[in-house]
Amino acid sequence: MIEFENVSKTYEQQPALNDLNLTINDGELFVLVGPSGSGKTTLLKMINKLIEPTTGTVKIDGQDVGAADIRQLRHQIGYVLQAGALFPNMTVEQNAAIQLDQLDWDVRQKHDRINELLTRVDLDPQTYMERMPSELSGGEAQRVGIVRALASQPKLILMDEPFSALDPLSRRRLQQLVLKLHQELACTIVFVTHDMQEAIKLADRLAVIHNGDLLQVGRPQEIIANPASEFVADFFDDGTTRNLFLSQVLKTGFGRLPEPADQPVKLAGTDTIFTWADLLNQHPRQLVTVDDLVLEPQDLLSYMSQIGQVS
Amino acid sequence: MTAFGNYLVKNGNDLLASLGQHIFISLVAALIAIVIAIPLAVALVNHRRWGEVVLQVTGVVQTIPSLAVLGLLIPLVGIGTVPSIIALVLYAIMPIFQNTYAGLTNIDPLLIEAADAFGMSRRFKLFRVQLPLAMPMILSGIRIAVVLIIGTATLAALIGGGGLGTYIITGIQTNNDQALIAGAVLSAILALVASWLIKVLSRVSVKKLLYGLGILAVLGVSGGIYHQATQPKETITIAGKLGGEPDILIHMYKDLIEQDNPNVHVVLKPNFGGTTFLFKGLQSGKIDIYPEFTGTVLQTLVKQPKHVSHDPAKSYQQAKALLKKQYGLDYLKPMKYQNNYSLALRKQDAEKYHLKTISDLSQVSTTLTSAFDTDFSQQKDGYPGLKTAYGLVFKSVQTMEPSLRYQAVADRKVDVTDAYTTDPQIRQYHLVTLKDDKSFFPAYQGAPLMKASFAKQHPRVVKSLNQLNGKVTTKQMQEMNYQVTVKHRKAATVAREFLQQQHLLK
Ligand SMILES: Nc1ncnc2c1ncn2[C@@H]1O[C@H](COP(=O)(O)OP(=O)(O)O)[C@@H](O)[C@H]1O
Ligand SMILES: [Mg+2]
Repeated sequence: MIEFENVSKTYEQQPALNDLNLTINDGELFVLVGPSGSGKTTLLKMINKLIEPTTGTVKIDGQDVGAADIRQLRHQIGYVLQAGALFPNMTVEQNAAIQLDQLDWDVRQKHDRINELLTRVDLDPQTYMERMPSELSGGEAQRVGIVRALASQPKLILMDEPFSALDPLSRRRLQQLVLKLHQELACTIVFVTHDMQEAIKLADRLAVIHNGDLLQVGRPQEIIANPASEFVADFFDDGTTRNLFLSQVLKTGFGRLPEPADQPVKLAGTDTIFTWADLLNQHPRQLVTVDDLVLEPQDLLSYMSQIGQVS
Repeated sequence: MTAFGNYLVKNGNDLLASLGQHIFISLVAALIAIVIAIPLAVALVNHRRWGEVVLQVTGVVQTIPSLAVLGLLIPLVGIGTVPSIIALVLYAIMPIFQNTYAGLTNIDPLLIEAADAFGMSRRFKLFRVQLPLAMPMILSGIRIAVVLIIGTATLAALIGGGGLGTYIITGIQTNNDQALIAGAVLSAILALVASWLIKVLSRVSVKKLLYGLGILAVLGVSGGIYHQATQPKETITIAGKLGGEPDILIHMYKDLIEQDNPNVHVVLKPNFGGTTFLFKGLQSGKIDIYPEFTGTVLQTLVKQPKHVSHDPAKSYQQAKALLKKQYGLDYLKPMKYQNNYSLALRKQDAEKYHLKTISDLSQVSTTLTSAFDTDFSQQKDGYPGLKTAYGLVFKSVQTMEPSLRYQAVADRKVDVTDAYTTDPQIRQYHLVTLKDDKSFFPAYQGAPLMKASFAKQHPRVVKSLNQLNGKVTTKQMQEMNYQVTVKHRKAATVAREFLQQQHLLK
């Protein structure tokens, strides 16, 4: 559990965070979202003490970060930076094992661990272990960045706009990867992005930050259904956001009355079409019910093609 | 070109030795500069304000002319290899520090952030991230420094540091183009090769590079120790001023001393510098002996006595007494020849008018034309004084570039000119000099100068050197200078032949 208590940060008399209180629970994929310059990075870096608050305290599992041994603290936290930020003078394996070096793992163990993780992020170890960062595409580099962050099996992983420099296709694949890893590894992830779509897609819960103020915290659907301020409403409403929710699917005219033979899975109107798509990905013929109406797999395709024409 | 080839073949061993010395000085200077500059840059990267200050300071040091740095260092550390290396280090620190500092400060901050975020230790971060990433910049700094060092090291010869500069300076002093070209070309080639080598090395990994440096350092140190260990028990250092004549004299000293004292090793430092360099070197113990002229002692070294005698024997006595009293130095007995001002004219004219002395000349001077060096024609102790002392009246008097005047006499453009009695051109152009029978000019006789304490501890060395007392006539010296400066024979050979001919050497 990460707790921010009355945290403020001032850079040379310029306030960057204003008296902020926030709790991130264990196992959450928590997203900090807001326009650029709002203070997300500042907040994130307080967790691994790259930045210290001007006033207030940050605690991890009840321990004050300010009082912790800085290197020990950081050895237990994974960190994924923009565009990978791999060391250009080291191979993929050396890069990925950097935290393990600090923890004095032996060579064999290190090698096996990196081998396993590369496979996990869909990079063939045979091909990639010995490559230099300059020989990787943006997406591959960021996968290695993720392996580096996961190497020491940290319970907490911080990601600061990790995908913002990638092309849309790679970005989508890596988002899927993060969701998959989060499920498999049962770790806490704090993810920073300025991209509202990305936030909605990934977040268990998210926090909207603007000009150093924490505007709203909650599940994506809740925030979209009940934005706490005009800014939050505007931020999430760019015309397409609404279309992502199942309630909108029903409003567009999809859904039929249930029949006795149906064996549907129940979803909420505040769930997104991504949840639905995920479900279908695993069980292609699965029916779902939303607000007592049944949606068939075919409906998703029809709906997608329809909103594609509108926008 | 063939003459140059011959020169290289003849002096091959000496050139190689100088090249070795040049490489040694440069290598030591470069290593010291690296060892100072890189850690300094590493330390100051986290203290940017101080980093900027050091950048400014090293920048200023580099704008001081190298000769001035050498001059400033002499009173502090004396002469020879050490001050040369110090001066070179001072120069080389700037480019290495600047590049290392820039290399370290220009690393992508995101990478530094990543290094910190993974809890790297300072050492790990420095050696695995910062230095490797700054390495291309650091190596280019080292390359600049090494090229600079190799070029500047030629100046080391001026203060007895040795190296290829010896050839350049000898070349300039003795008008020997081949020596000059050999020195200049070799140092240029050395700089190019070194630069290329570093470029090649920059593709080698840091680890291997460090091993390489380590091996080089061990080799250097053990080489130095071996060098020390293989030297005989006592070393005596003899230096000479710039030019061919002192070079010949100190070779005579060496041959005589080593013949009589088998366990003494004489180290020569030819073309060591000007009078003050040598005099200070003698006082500080950097050198043990050097040949000095009585006239120079009385005119510039000792505090001015009330009356300076121009009689050779009296001047020597006066110089000896004052050196002993004021500086505690022993001035051994002088050689016969005088290296002082005189007037020169064509041999045929001297024979025709039966001229031996300047007094003789004053009888016939109205029929002769003359040309003098600008200083000589104006100073009271030059032509104006001479004119009064001897009642000289020439048909015409003009001033002339010193380098042209001998040839002008030979070509019958003028009849009489001022001259140094031992100048080789007198022999070259078949001129004669006239005796200063009224002792108008100060006397210049050469003799070995050393500390009184040294003389007391080395009676046999004194005895060896005293063999030259009253030897070497002006004519003989002229001939030897001619052989070295005009004929480009080696001073060592010319000196040895002379001593053998005089039966002073077996
Ligand atoms: N080291 C710093 N010095 C001064 N101002 C800073 C520094 N880091 C961030 N800021 C300022 O603090 C504010 C928040 O920055 P940041 O946390 O990076 O925002 P975000 O990550 O949301 O884009 C911005 O106005 C930024 O200019
Ligand atoms: Mg940011």
